[in-house]
Amino acid sequence: MSELAPRYSAAALLRARFDRHFWGPLWRRATPRDAYDVVVVGGGGHGLATAFHLARDHGLKRVAVVERKVIGYGNVGRNTTIVRSNYLLPDNFHFYEDSLRRYENLSQTLNFNVMYSSRGVVDLANSDDEMVMYARRGNAMRLAGIDAELLDRDGLRRFMPELDPSLPRRYPIVGGLLQRRGGTVRHDAVAWGYARAAAALGVDIIEECEVTGLSTAAGSATGVETSRGAIRAERVVFAVAGHTGAIGRMLGIPLPVETHLLQAMVTEPIKPLVSTVVSYMYGHAEVYMSQSDRGGLVMGGVLDGFPSYTREPLWHRLEEVVQGAVALFPQVAGLRILRHWAGTNDQTMDGSPLVGRLGYDNVFLNGGWCYGGFKAIPASGAACATLVATGQAPDLIRSFAPERFAAGRMLDEKGAGPFPLRQ
Amino acid sequence: MSSFGCPFCGPRPLEEFSFHKTLPNVPGGAFEEVYLRSDDPTDSHEHWQHRYGCRAWLYVRRNPSTGRILEVRQLTGSAP
Repeated sequence: MSELAPRYSAAALLRARFDRHFWGPLWRRATPRDAYDVVVVGGGGHGLATAFHLARDHGLKRVAVVERKVIGYGNVGRNTTIVRSNYLLPDNFHFYEDSLRRYENLSQTLNFNVMYSSRGVVDLANSDDEMVMYARRGNAMRLAGIDAELLDRDGLRRFMPELDPSLPRRYPIVGGLLQRRGGTVRHDAVAWGYARAAAALGVDIIEECEVTGLSTAAGSATGVETSRGAIRAERVVFAVAGHTGAIGRMLGIPLPVETHLLQAMVTEPIKPLVSTVVSYMYGHAEVYMSQSDRGGLVMGGVLDGFPSYTREPLWHRLEEVVQGAVALFPQVAGLRILRHWAGTNDQTMDGSPLVGRLGYDNVFLNGGWCYGGFKAIPASGAACATLVATGQAPDLIRSFAPERFAAGRMLDEKGAGPFPLRQ
Repeated sequence: MSSFGCPFCGPRPLEEFSFHKTLPNVPGGAFEEVYLRSDDPTDSHEHWQHRYGCRAWLYVRRNPSTGRILEVRQLTGSAP
């Protein structure tokens, strides 16, 4: 194996110009050691970020991330790359604002270009009633010092001239709520950047290693059973995104979660058309879209509507997404779809995440992120690492504790009740 | 999973059907019934409706890992 990639800098680029063997792998391929301080199960964004912060902020030397497939295979590579903090409830917007701030500086933090683009996130309103709801949400955010702007039709025209809000549409566009600092981040770079930065701090990243069980003794966990043998661990963190329910089943602990799919796709590349991230909820469907740096229109929709692990396409949902996109920009009707994917979402009973202890004093869960896991990665990693290292949940995630359901303290952003599908 | 066998209408496209809920599968009281799930990746018991068809309410057993439908029958009023 060639040498690992060095710390990136102008000098490194110059050196690379004269040495074509300069660029090495981003992290070393680790094999499981016998024992670790912390084993993080799941090499997605949340798992890698947790491991990175355990090593960087809390000085833990023996940390491993075990991943069933390869880094970037799961939801961290199956999303629509949107980051934002435009929530209504304080416990949500404080958390996601922390995450957005970390995203703004993530390239510097990780020494890896994650291509954060503050192109803005606009939620379009279909009616005056929706404008009232957006005003309420925007005002809640502004009171907390988070940027939000209510746009009428003229404001929309100025902000995104590519959209003609006055075109006749079945669901008309009367305005929108804009968060200018929202935008997109390159999802693969987030996975690779965290993996590289964590490995540089001594974290073992073990790919193609499936966890099949938890070893316990005297009421606490002693390690994990894996497809590559048993690994002892002082503490275990599960960060398995859409498979959180499967972890509950493996441990015999029922969880307030169901796994649902969500369809997304990207078109063939075109010249610059969509300058922002635009979200259009119409009827019972939705499309949110942005244009990638390569030129493809990245689009996603609502949940499929029933629990599933298949990751298979659902044509009538894909059609709804495309219908919404064409209603916004009629000129995209002739484009071809280049790629499609379905993300697995661990939908909780109140639409908010589950971060806390799981059954044992030294086992932790970082999951239940519904369809919003990507934008949560940096804050989730930092807060979860603090929880795991100190045993105390920081204020930022205190209301994400799984015990909230039994205590009657739901964090229900939509006010939809205990129906995972509607969250 | 692209079509559904309705006991009244025969095979119909999936988009005519709407999923209502996963049936409770965690023993205990009302809390467990409403909030908790024991996630079975191969056998899920559910209520669906042939909403954009004959509107019948259906009891469905499904494998969420493959999308295969294992059983569909009319809901008769006595659970499940």
